[in-house]
Amino acid sequence: MLARVNAIALNTFREAIRHRILYLLLVFAVVLISFAQILSLLTVGSEEKIIKDFGLATIDVFGVLTAVFIGIGLVSREIERRTVYTLLAKPIHRFEFVLGKYAGLALTLLVNTCVMTAWFFLVLLIKGMFDPRLGVAVLLLFFQFLLITALAVLFSCVSTPILASVMTLALYVVGHLLWSLDLLAKRLQTETGRILCRVLYYLLPNLGNFDIKGEIVHGLAVAPGRIVWATIYLLVYGCAILWTACAVFERKELQ
Amino acid sequence: MAASFVQRRRRQIMALGALACLLAAIFVQGRIERLKPGATAHPLLYLPSGKYLKVAALGFDGLLADLLYLWSIQFYGSYDIKDRYTYLERIYDQVITELDPHYLDPYLVGALIMTAEARNPEMALRLLDKAVNANPDQWLPAFEAGFLCYNDLHDYTRAASYFEKALRVPGVHPLVRRFYAEMYNRAGDKRTSLKEWLEIYQTSDDPYAHGIAWNHVHDLKVDVDIADLTSAVGRFRDREKRPPRHLQEILTAGLLPALPRDPEDRDYLYDPQTGAVRYGGGLVLGR
Amino acid sequence: MAVLDLLDIHKSYRSHLSIRKYWILRGLSLSIGEGEVFGFIGTNGAGKTTTIKLALGLIFPDQGSIRLFGEDASRVELRRRVGFLPENPYLYDYLTGEEFLDFHARLFGLDRITRRKRVKDLLERVGLGNRGYRQLRHYSKGMLQRIGLAQALINDPDLVVLDEPMSGLDPIGRREVRDIILDLKTRGRTVFFSTHILSDTEMICDRVGLLVKGALKAVGTIDELVSRDVPYWEVALQGVVNGKLPCGRIVSRREDRVLVRVDTQGDLHRLLSILNGHGARLVSVTPARQSLEDLFIREARAASVPTARLEEGHARQS
Repeated sequence: MLARVNAIALNTFREAIRHRILYLLLVFAVVLISFAQILSLLTVGSEEKIIKDFGLATIDVFGVLTAVFIGIGLVSREIERRTVYTLLAKPIHRFEFVLGKYAGLALTLLVNTCVMTAWFFLVLLIKGMFDPRLGVAVLLLFFQFLLITALAVLFSCVSTPILASVMTLALYVVGHLLWSLDLLAKRLQTETGRILCRVLYYLLPNLGNFDIKGEIVHGLAVAPGRIVWATIYLLVYGCAILWTACAVFERKELQ
Repeated sequence: MAASFVQRRRRQIMALGALACLLAAIFVQGRIERLKPGATAHPLLYLPSGKYLKVAALGFDGLLADLLYLWSIQFYGSYDIKDRYTYLERIYDQVITELDPHYLDPYLVGALIMTAEARNPEMALRLLDKAVNANPDQWLPAFEAGFLCYNDLHDYTRAASYFEKALRVPGVHPLVRRFYAEMYNRAGDKRTSLKEWLEIYQTSDDPYAHGIAWNHVHDLKVDVDIADLTSAVGRFRDREKRPPRHLQEILTAGLLPALPRDPEDRDYLYDPQTGAVRYGGGLVLGR
Repeated sequence: MAVLDLLDIHKSYRSHLSIRKYWILRGLSLSIGEGEVFGFIGTNGAGKTTTIKLALGLIFPDQGSIRLFGEDASRVELRRRVGFLPENPYLYDYLTGEEFLDFHARLFGLDRITRRKRVKDLLERVGLGNRGYRQLRHYSKGMLQRIGLAQALINDPDLVVLDEPMSGLDPIGRREVRDIILDLKTRGRTVFFSTHILSDTEMICDRVGLLVKGALKAVGTIDELVSRDVPYWEVALQGVVNGKLPCGRIVSRREDRVLVRVDTQGDLHRLLSILNGHGARLVSVTPARQSLEDLFIREARAASVPTARLEEGHARQS
């Protein structure tokens, strides 16, 4: 089983690497990180915060975009274009296909994140603003990408490429707004409203768990417990999503 | 196959048309620039408060604060925009610092603009108070507030209380301690000032600070000693109905436990005629 | 033992927006025996591709059972012995021909040496021997069809399922595919393929199934399906100057050639015997056999499939 998952993962990675969108996004990211430097010249006060904020935000946004577009492109489009027929007529379980695809995407994201981060760190080193704790912030951002990719794979199994992209991006937005849902829960008058808010709060993916950009940039302490729990959350929630994707794909009619 | 004459002509016309439209667009933009409305109509001034902006920021609060801050200093730096201070407090207090309460530059620069340009030091102090509360690990906002009270409001007691807040933060710059000590002097409480300066003198290992402390201690000691002696002379006069003939008499009268000597370890000079106590040397800081 | 056994299959689909169900297959039963070449023909939209997809577990029947090699077709392990070429396969166009085949071979768990050998052999076999290094995005349609076929054979399967294998191929390509299918037959493999091109079916299939609107209208050997009785002959003669023939009807005339239609064998003999006497020359004698095409059109008409379009389709395909 592992050999087959491996074969599909490597094939997916190979396909992603040869995808032009990947390079486009990467180039944009590099340009933006460089732009941060220019922008920081406008400030009265410390340049450091602006460059760091901008750099982290760029990695965050472009990582998410890569996760969504490459993820949807490689899975949803494959299902739509029926490349998947020849694959699934082989002695391969459907869930192996899903897992193999996910592994390939995760590997792609890893490479992508490393390239962007390397550039970012290089810029910081040259300006003497490097802080190794930024690596921890990027690590948590990477966990966020992994979760979003899992969602992208799930929605690809369920729907067309465009709808899947929209749904994944929508969940990204919602995932960052859950804190307001929590606040809303406290303000609502009706009991059902409060319960609904609480339920949604726990069910939806809480991407705020992976956001320590502010703390790291300001040099504030981050409890190691937070990192540990974030990792556990990724593992558990990610498995939930992937398992659902496998279950859905198991009985999907491939028209 | 080379394009036919008709095709080439058509493409040339289209290219010219495109160029003409682009030039027209540039011209129109120029006109729009000139029609730019005054400061009060600037769209960014109507931003919702930071609490709500956080929602739109999707986790990029820090970056949004940065960008708004950059915009604000460009905005407040353009002297041709009239009435630009109307929303000053709103922008700094309710928007930028709400988005990122730990970003110090907006507090400091905002306070600066409020004081130096909008001439509203109380507004600046409100902003700095917010900075102090949100960032108990930072000494700079409290120091800036203290300095503002000292320099602009000449309210030395208030300044001292700010400096004291700053002093509570570990790693505070030693300069703040000196300011704190001096505030008491400016407020008129030379005794406490002397006590503080003495402590600085005794505890600092930086020769520069040591030297400054010595200067203050020197002069303050003179002031305090002279004050003590003058008050003792007055009490003597009240009792004996005459001024003492020399300072020793005060001592024998038990009005002082000991006679203070000046920083050069000499006696203070006393004029029995006028009852004035004087210092024989020169004040270092010459006040 | 039947290699592929479909029993009473019902398959419907519901379009996204409406609640209406469309039946594609109703009560289809079909059995493919070991070692036979089975041709699956039918009108457009009859359900041929659906049947194939059901056999391979790409979609699931509403009702009925599917068995492969005697076991329940949903068992993934059974596909080790199956090879599949879908219609208009979309392939990974960023891979080279060799990489593509190698990838599929890996899914069978073949070791590197076996893989390399198989890939080379198969590329030769489908006529792409020296083009394996190029990326699939640079392949012509015919080449893509061939590499697709190679992929279907990579595991040396017992059952080969092909959906429109001749589509997009020129006559040379079609001949090659036919040869491959016959070669598979001599090796004892079972081949199940669907096609529009009836003449190919007549040449290579042991049995044929005709699917019209989701129902199997006819299944059996060509002889069983198409009567061997000859309804009439068409005789082409040259040099008949004028007139009267002892029997038969002149169907068309051009310069000094005539085409004569005779209805019985007796009339045919009589016509041929007078040729010598009249100085006419025989060009050809063609028995007008009922063809598979006639059967096809007849059944389609009976099921009220618009045949004008059918015939148009045929003209384009053949």
